[in-house]
Amino acid sequence: MSAKVLSVKDVKKVFEEGRQRVEVLKGITMDVAAGEVVALEGPSGSGKTTLLSIVGCILTPTSGELEVGGRTVRASDADGLREVRRRSIGFVFQQYNLFPALTALENVEYSLNVRGVEGGAAHAEARRALERVGLGDRLHFLPRDLSGGQKQRVAIARALAGAPPVVLADEPTANLDTAVGGQILDLFRELAKDEGKGLLVVTHDPKVRRIADRVVGIRDGRLAEAA
Amino acid sequence: MVSLARKNLLHDRLRFFITVAGVAFAVTLVLVQVGLFMGLLDKATVTIRNASADLWITSRNTPNVDFAHTFPETAVLRARSVAGVERAGNLIVAFVNIQLPSGATEGSLVYALDDFSGWNLPWKVTAGSADDLKRGYNLLMDRSAALRYGPFRVGEYRELQGRRFRIVGATEEAASFTTTPIVFMDYRNAQELQEQLRASTTYVLVKVAPGAEVARVKAELQRRLPYNDVFTREEWAERSRNYWIASTGLGMSMGVTVFLGILVGIVIVAQTLYTSAVEHVKEFGTVKAIGGSNLDIYRILGEQAVIAAVIGFVLGAAISYAVRPAMAHIHLNVLLSPSFTAAVFAGTVLMCLGAALFSFRRVAGIDPALVFRT
Repeated sequence: MSAKVLSVKDVKKVFEEGRQRVEVLKGITMDVAAGEVVALEGPSGSGKTTLLSIVGCILTPTSGELEVGGRTVRASDADGLREVRRRSIGFVFQQYNLFPALTALENVEYSLNVRGVEGGAAHAEARRALERVGLGDRLHFLPRDLSGGQKQRVAIARALAGAPPVVLADEPTANLDTAVGGQILDLFRELAKDEGKGLLVVTHDPKVRRIADRVVGIRDGRLAEAA
Repeated sequence: MVSLARKNLLHDRLRFFITVAGVAFAVTLVLVQVGLFMGLLDKATVTIRNASADLWITSRNTPNVDFAHTFPETAVLRARSVAGVERAGNLIVAFVNIQLPSGATEGSLVYALDDFSGWNLPWKVTAGSADDLKRGYNLLMDRSAALRYGPFRVGEYRELQGRRFRIVGATEEAASFTTTPIVFMDYRNAQELQEQLRASTTYVLVKVAPGAEVARVKAELQRRLPYNDVFTREEWAERSRNYWIASTGLGMSMGVTVFLGILVGIVIVAQTLYTSAVEHVKEFGTVKAIGGSNLDIYRILGEQAVIAAVIGFVLGAAISYAVRPAMAHIHLNVLLSPSFTAAVFAGTVLMCLGAALFSFRRVAGIDPALVFRT
């Protein structure tokens, strides 16, 4: 069995809204192994995004334990959380979130710069990552000149550059048509398997099931293994 | 290293242009206004700096070189008797009316002395010779006088205080703070022009002997002439300058202009950077989500501010330096020293970085979780 790259133990999240306490996550426990693709499904308001934010070290849990890339994450240490994001997590967003002023190559290179890789090394790795996702001929295109699928490929290259053990994807096919969405999912699976990433995909898209090793459902803040 | 700051700045060219134009405007305003003021102040001390006197003896409380008061000319004899004085000579500086060919009466500032070459006054004669001043009722007129009096030629006559003087030559660079044209003439001729100048002078110029200590000679002169003031050349120049800066409100007026220039710059840069920060909130959220810190974002905004400062300064300084010949043509000297220009550059960078601080507060509170919102 592959090593765990993401481990969540009894994570709870409570939001205080005025005098109201809203318990969004009610004790979530789950693992993602290296090379494993896990789909997280659930209706709106079920806590998917909150869970994604917590495992992405953007939001801190009210209680529970979190381990990313073999490192225990301490919720009280803001710099530590940022360091985990920098070193161990790659993000793919629904809206791509590319920097409009940067070319495809620069988008990937910049994220490497943030991760501490600079100069020629960053440039070469960014180029490799884009060639890996099939955009070797679009290196110097600005996001506005790329199609939705190409933008998402750039986002995937950006998430994978710097070799983070965990990749988190938030509705990665929501803005893509069926054919392109299918290609992106195939690419996701291929990269996860080839590079041994633990991939957690939050989605409403039933097609994600096709590439997932495991599908996990979330409803009212609790997990349930889906069929 | 990819510069997100530079790329974002150049991506929105209109905003970039407005920012740079704002900085350039502020820089031009400060450089030209202060340069003009420095040019005027330069005029206030130009004769002091060019005269070869080490010490100036003035009447008590004379505020500046132009507004001279009389005292007995025999003071020069006492000055000459002080040990350490190589030579001393009288200098009259007085406002005298001049009759123009048009019939109009204007003011002129007469500089009158006995030994022109000995005191290096005038220091730039472009036509004729100062030696001719002693050969009758002659005068040298500065070229800048043409602006006030109209064109003049060597050999023409002008009437000063009812007495006819022949223009025997012309000088350059001899200008006063008040813009009253300077004319040079013989000491005795000047004394005949005004009753109050008879047997009186307005300054005694002193050259200290080689090896003598200026401070010691000055103290001894002050002791021997208790009803006069004695200044070193630097002290006298500073006193003349300070009079115009402090006593006339010009310094305050210039300060307000500089303040307004800086304020305009800060407002424009702060406003454009802040708007830019607000419009790029999602991008900054992404920077944070992928592991960037507030410091990384401050660096982006700081770099943008510095880029705007440098380009705006270069543009503003180029405009300021370019207008100098045109200003000189109308006898307005925009004095821009390298040190002042460097100070304005440093101030511009600081101003833009200060303006960027307004945006820091906005981006510091960006929640990286917004990257998950659609």
